[in-house]
Amino acid sequence: MISGVILICLAILTAGCWDRRELQERNFVLAVGIDMADVYNPIETFTQPHGSKRYRLSLQILNLGTGGDGKDKSNTYVLSNTGESFFEMVRDMLGQSSKSLWFEHVQVIIISEAVLRQTGLGELLDFFKRDSEMRSRMHVYVTSGEARPLLEYIPPNKEPGGIYLSNIIDLHAKNIHVAGKRTDLASIIRYLDNDSNLVVSRIEMAGKVVKLGGLAIFKKDRFMGYVDEDTVAGIKYMFASEKSAIVTIPCPDHVDHQVIFELFRHDTRLRPHVEGDTIYFTLDINMYGNIGEFQGDTALDNTMDPRYVHKLENAFADEIRRTVLYSDRILQKEMKVDILNLFAAKLKAYEPNTWEKVKDQWDEIYPDIPLVISVNVWIQNIGSHK
Amino acid sequence: MANLEAKTYMSPLQLGIVVIGTCVGAQVMLSPRALITALEQAAWLSIIIGGVIFYSATYLMLTLGRQYPEETLVEYAPRLFGRLGGTVVVVWFNLLFFLQLIIIFSGVGKIITFYMFDRTPPEVVIMALLIVCTYCALQDWGTILRVQQILFFMAYGMLTMIWMTSILNFQPENMLPLWPIKIKTVINGGFLTWPFYSGYECVLLLLPLVYRKASFAKLAKIMGGAFGCMTLFFLMIIIIIIGVLTVENAKSVPYPVLIVIRSVELPGTFIERLENYLLLAWIPVVFGTLSTTMFYMGQVCMRQYRYADHRPWVLVLVPIIYMGSILLLDDQQVYDTVSKCALWTGLGFSFGVVPLSLMLSWWHKRKAVARCG
Repeated sequence: MISGVILICLAILTAGCWDRRELQERNFVLAVGIDMADVYNPIETFTQPHGSKRYRLSLQILNLGTGGDGKDKSNTYVLSNTGESFFEMVRDMLGQSSKSLWFEHVQVIIISEAVLRQTGLGELLDFFKRDSEMRSRMHVYVTSGEARPLLEYIPPNKEPGGIYLSNIIDLHAKNIHVAGKRTDLASIIRYLDNDSNLVVSRIEMAGKVVKLGGLAIFKKDRFMGYVDEDTVAGIKYMFASEKSAIVTIPCPDHVDHQVIFELFRHDTRLRPHVEGDTIYFTLDINMYGNIGEFQGDTALDNTMDPRYVHKLENAFADEIRRTVLYSDRILQKEMKVDILNLFAAKLKAYEPNTWEKVKDQWDEIYPDIPLVISVNVWIQNIGSHK
Repeated sequence: MANLEAKTYMSPLQLGIVVIGTCVGAQVMLSPRALITALEQAAWLSIIIGGVIFYSATYLMLTLGRQYPEETLVEYAPRLFGRLGGTVVVVWFNLLFFLQLIIIFSGVGKIITFYMFDRTPPEVVIMALLIVCTYCALQDWGTILRVQQILFFMAYGMLTMIWMTSILNFQPENMLPLWPIKIKTVINGGFLTWPFYSGYECVLLLLPLVYRKASFAKLAKIMGGAFGCMTLFFLMIIIIIIGVLTVENAKSVPYPVLIVIRSVELPGTFIERLENYLLLAWIPVVFGTLSTTMFYMGQVCMRQYRYADHRPWVLVLVPIIYMGSILLLDDQQVYDTVSKCALWTGLGFSFGVVPLSLMLSWWHKRKAVARCG
């Protein structure tokens, strides 16, 4: 009897809903923007005993009330705060919110270039990597302008902004100008822990147009600058991260015409080689795909002729080689950044003894390491119509 | 009326399942970071070496148990080591279970609080788990055995299935170089895998139930199979952690298993945040380990103090286990020190006490034969 009573009491005390949080009592944060706090509204901030008004943190919150039926009405709104600690700012923002802020559904973090010119990426992401509410797969973007306007952006399809911005990068597999495979929070943290150089996708807004393209390059966690879409294409070829690609070349027989190749499948191998004290890498790319488009006088389209197709294969291979060499020149010779430690990781994996010898001088050695590229292209079809 | 749950015999296969149920538990979540920090890229190889090492220790225990097929270590230890020595050995044996219990309770409390119920104090989580485990440990062996068998097929299957989804993020190159440069460190590292395999010591308590009907050869073979399964399971954990996170990343997170599973996105489904599902599958596994270990502690006390029932002892141990677990909660240094103590206690027992007991038993037998002769 007594043990039964004790058991019931303990069951009441230890079970229950200590952690209960009702859906209607939550404000879902969908996107986070980090800017410099150059100018700020004194009402939206707080008195700081420590630190300075360094950053402006903006949160895009899902407005469950309106549902976005109005023509220009957004189904999100943005709150901001200024300070130094993101956690402190978030908690102070509860003074502007009727419900608790819920970070489990954050889709993107957008960081302005001005912030990255002053602060390392690792420092900025520390709060997001520690908190157990955060998703590992949220996307991180860099913008040359301010982050807050991107959070206020109303997508044409009236999707919540954070989800829209996040979905753009999910199409990276088909867009050779966007590198999205290893640019999420979990990957960035992994590269930071490995002391690797890393990349983050670039997002820009002009008027009512928002576009993703190019990359921000980081040496360790320090912002180095941007690279253009052509460099991104070369990077994706090197990493074998493209699932599909569009390659455009001038027609070998009529230079004012253009022929477009659509990649379907590829086999890419980057391998390190060590001969005595010399280290070099070989990149072998084999690509298979179709002719996707012929731009010009269609009467001159010879794609049914196998000799012409063979000529095209060589021309496409040359173009891909040129793109890779262009990327390699920008990264290796100009920026001197082995992004995502691609070459270092290969050397460590396949030549561990050599890596042990050179790992401390890798940053000095890397810019002079030769890359030998071999590309073969196979056109398997000319499309469904000539 | 006869107690239908009292068990006087179990098959070698059932013993294999119980050993797996006792060994594979909380440590899959708690120990990978420490192992990867110590052994880096070669942690997977140490898991295999550890499997061989601890199977050897179990083999010695089976051999020792064969010398006394009707008794447990608690009964024959005083005959081998004398009254005081025997008591030391029995206390050592029970301390091993106690240290494992408090480490697991404390670790589980921390994990569940951090990832699932952040407003609930870990003390309350531990208390709730302790109550459930106590209820199970108060049953007779027949019930506990059945619980272990059910968990073996259900909870372990679910845990493995959820964990395998993390293969979607696996990058084989993170595993390279596969062969370590410092082989000696890896071999020594085999001993560091003890927290993964710990719990196999329970055979010294359960062998009389098996030896009544089974042969040594069959038992050794089945235990080999059990260790093979455990090694495969632990390998799967370590290889996927390194393959997904890299060594450096795994070193920086307290619970790499949860970080690995957290980053899984199942294409075409709305299911996300898989760490919660993994934790839900892991809790029954932990429950299996904890309740059987509490039962072992109760049994050791019962036999040592010649009681007829283990239940009062389980109830006496509850506050001690609770206090021990709470002490480890707030100070990481204390937690690490106790973990180290557990490691050395376990290694000392398996590779000091057990071989010594075996040698003494042989010596006693030879002496008896010589006397008769």
